[in-house]
Amino acid sequence: MKIGKIEISKIIIIVLVAILGIMASYEFLELRFYREDVVVSDSFTEEKMLSDWLPSIKNTAVDAPVYIFDSGVPGGSVLICGGIHPYEPATTLAAYVIMNNINVEKGKVFIIPRTNMSAATLGMLGNAYPKFFTIETEWGEKKIRIGDRATNPLHQWPDPFVYVNYPSGQNLAYTDIRNMNRTFPGKEDGSLTERGSYALMELTRKENIDLYIDLHEASLMYPVVSTYVAHQDAQDIAMMASMVLSASEFPMKCEVSPSNLHGLTHREVGDYSDAYAVLMETPEPFIDRVAGRMTEELMTDGIDEFIQTAAENDLIYCNYDINEGITMPSGYVVKGAPMDYRVGRHLSATREVITWMGQFDPAKEVIVTFPGFIDVMDNGSGFYLSDPEEADESKVFKN
Amino acid sequence: MYLQATIVLIAMIATFAISSWKLKSTELSMVVTAIVGALVGGFGFPARLLVEGMFTFFDVGMTFITAAIFINIYSATGAMDAIVRAIVQNFHSKKWIVFILLGGIMLIPGALTGAGSVSIFVVGGMVSTVLGYMGLGKKKVVGFVFMFAVLSAVCPPINLWAMLMCAQANMPYVGFDIPLLAPLLVIGTFTIIFFGWGAKPKDKQEILDQLPEPIEGMNWIRISLPLISLVVLFLMQKYLAFYLPVLGLPLTFIICALISILCSPKRKGIKSWFSTINVTMEQVFPLLATVISVGTLVNIMTATGVRGLIAITFVTLPVVLIYVAALFFLPFAQGSLSYGSAVILGTPIIFLFNSIGVNVTIVAAALSFMFPLGDALPPSRIVGRVTISTVEYEGSYMSFLKAIMIPAAFMGGVALLMLIFANKFSFLVVY
Repeated sequence: MKIGKIEISKIIIIVLVAILGIMASYEFLELRFYREDVVVSDSFTEEKMLSDWLPSIKNTAVDAPVYIFDSGVPGGSVLICGGIHPYEPATTLAAYVIMNNINVEKGKVFIIPRTNMSAATLGMLGNAYPKFFTIETEWGEKKIRIGDRATNPLHQWPDPFVYVNYPSGQNLAYTDIRNMNRTFPGKEDGSLTERGSYALMELTRKENIDLYIDLHEASLMYPVVSTYVAHQDAQDIAMMASMVLSASEFPMKCEVSPSNLHGLTHREVGDYSDAYAVLMETPEPFIDRVAGRMTEELMTDGIDEFIQTAAENDLIYCNYDINEGITMPSGYVVKGAPMDYRVGRHLSATREVITWMGQFDPAKEVIVTFPGFIDVMDNGSGFYLSDPEEADESKVFKN
Repeated sequence: MYLQATIVLIAMIATFAISSWKLKSTELSMVVTAIVGALVGGFGFPARLLVEGMFTFFDVGMTFITAAIFINIYSATGAMDAIVRAIVQNFHSKKWIVFILLGGIMLIPGALTGAGSVSIFVVGGMVSTVLGYMGLGKKKVVGFVFMFAVLSAVCPPINLWAMLMCAQANMPYVGFDIPLLAPLLVIGTFTIIFFGWGAKPKDKQEILDQLPEPIEGMNWIRISLPLISLVVLFLMQKYLAFYLPVLGLPLTFIICALISILCSPKRKGIKSWFSTINVTMEQVFPLLATVISVGTLVNIMTATGVRGLIAITFVTLPVVLIYVAALFFLPFAQGSLSYGSAVILGTPIIFLFNSIGVNVTIVAAALSFMFPLGDALPPSRIVGRVTISTVEYEGSYMSFLKAIMIPAAFMGGVALLMLIFANKFSFLVVY
């Protein structure tokens, strides 16, 4: 049947697709504009934007808030970056916990909880991620968005057919031009993502950052899961931290950044600044391509039967057991890889490298306190997040 | 979880079978299958996931559209006919040289862009015409074009499967040139001999009489400038990447389409070019429908755990069975997941072989010869369908598969030998 020259079936399909588009666009808008309320501790001194170190990214999608905690006491300086890959959300949550609870007695701490802000504004194409996950707090549920691995293509498009990393000239997969942890050390007049990396390098150089910490989560089938990957200059710091953590809290491996693998923070930050560069990975079952249903539960409890099968076949590179659990050196029994476990790992792993930098290089000592692995395992991450409604307005930020 | 994912998988297979039968459309069937999969899997009607899935292969679709626009405009200027005429006039009596030349020409666009379909769009039509005149039947022509298209995607410098596996495994993409070129030479030679054997070129004058009359004013500058521009733009984007803004493949093809219009000896009106673009969109539309619906299907397979179920089943096979099953699993994964197959199955295999001390550069190279075989397999059949449409092959899809079976099996066999004896081939890895 036709109306004029157009078949009715085609009209019906067009209408159905339009309805589908409208329904989906509501969710896309929610992902794009949702911001979390975050509370900062009394040590907070100033909020800046990444564009303060590279004005050309001002008002762009990669400009991101930088929260500064300055003790006023001379010492070292640390930059903690979460969310450079927003689909690794324990990194952002760990940064929120630190911001909310940190006490800085000596030195200065910079925290960027969402380092690639653009990548946090969409879902992962082809990977069916949920939009958000929630955690329990003393004052109710807190909703946190997840996001993609790479800069939103609405902000940076098209991709080249091959990405050539600047300045190394190394060829990488085409999508890596939007992967901020492949575009280091960045390019002042490059793509949006390259400029984001460059801004981070400028911050590191101009603020004399002594220790650059890049928080990540990894597939359990990825060899550097549950690992520090450190630039050779930071090798001693990371190695000592790894030994202490493995003996007292949880297993933590340590590797030195490969010298011929370019574009990543652990290589380029160390090569192009004076900072010690350390990247750390927790096990995130969600990232594994063999994982089962992509649900919010998997994101928070980290329990997956398919990954258990992979573990039983020695295909993964960390401890994982969803039945009996794994007994940690600290005595906790962990089933799967739940969010609190992953956040706790980042907290203690961050604290430990800060401590060891001061041990190896007293002039760069930074004295900080914030909750660690044991605290979060006892109380949950949500326990350490204050209610934005109750907090002093000057301490609440949209992130 | 196993039971639930298995139930969803069965429901999806049943839905796909029934809707393919009832709707007579693979693309609509895939969308219906995705919706049923989501409902059975307990995801309700996930509007966002369905739309996200549609955009998974957005860039691929854009490349198809613009590459087809470029080559149809280029052909409409009469340049393609002029190339065919020149090849026939100069090489008619040297069929093996013609085959080698055409094979080499097929390799270039795919090698530079990593996409075999680009090779077909850009030179596939011309190659198939010349092969026809050189005495190859349509079946052999479609086989030749398909095989060299997939080889072009494997050919360095851009091998997307290897690059994606390297990216996932944190390996630098270096040392792949010889491990890719050496087997490619063997497979390419076999393919040429297989299809070219026994071909008897038609009478030269007869061919020239069949070709359209040369267009007045056509010369080698007009013929070559658009193609040279394309190659120069490809090379500049790779070798002068630091000094150029990112053009991307779609804009590259549009620029070359405009250059083709400027080079046309016939002055045509906007209406005429617009009509060429309209015809192109009609040609490409079925392919776009495929990549859009495959994306939707894959997204729901992922959400419901079906993708995970398939992946875990494969990677937990004993190593011996992986050797046996790789030639089956990897191409079928490519057929449904496209380049995502390299990430989902390729990377775990690399880690697995790395853990038993096998040279992973050779393993990744070997796997990258297996994945593209799936470009002819359902549900997407992307390169297979582009080949059939470009060559204007009218036989059934099954007859096309039969036509490529032996060289494809040879390619798979070479890849399998590389995989099994990876350490013996490690001398090929030169940094």
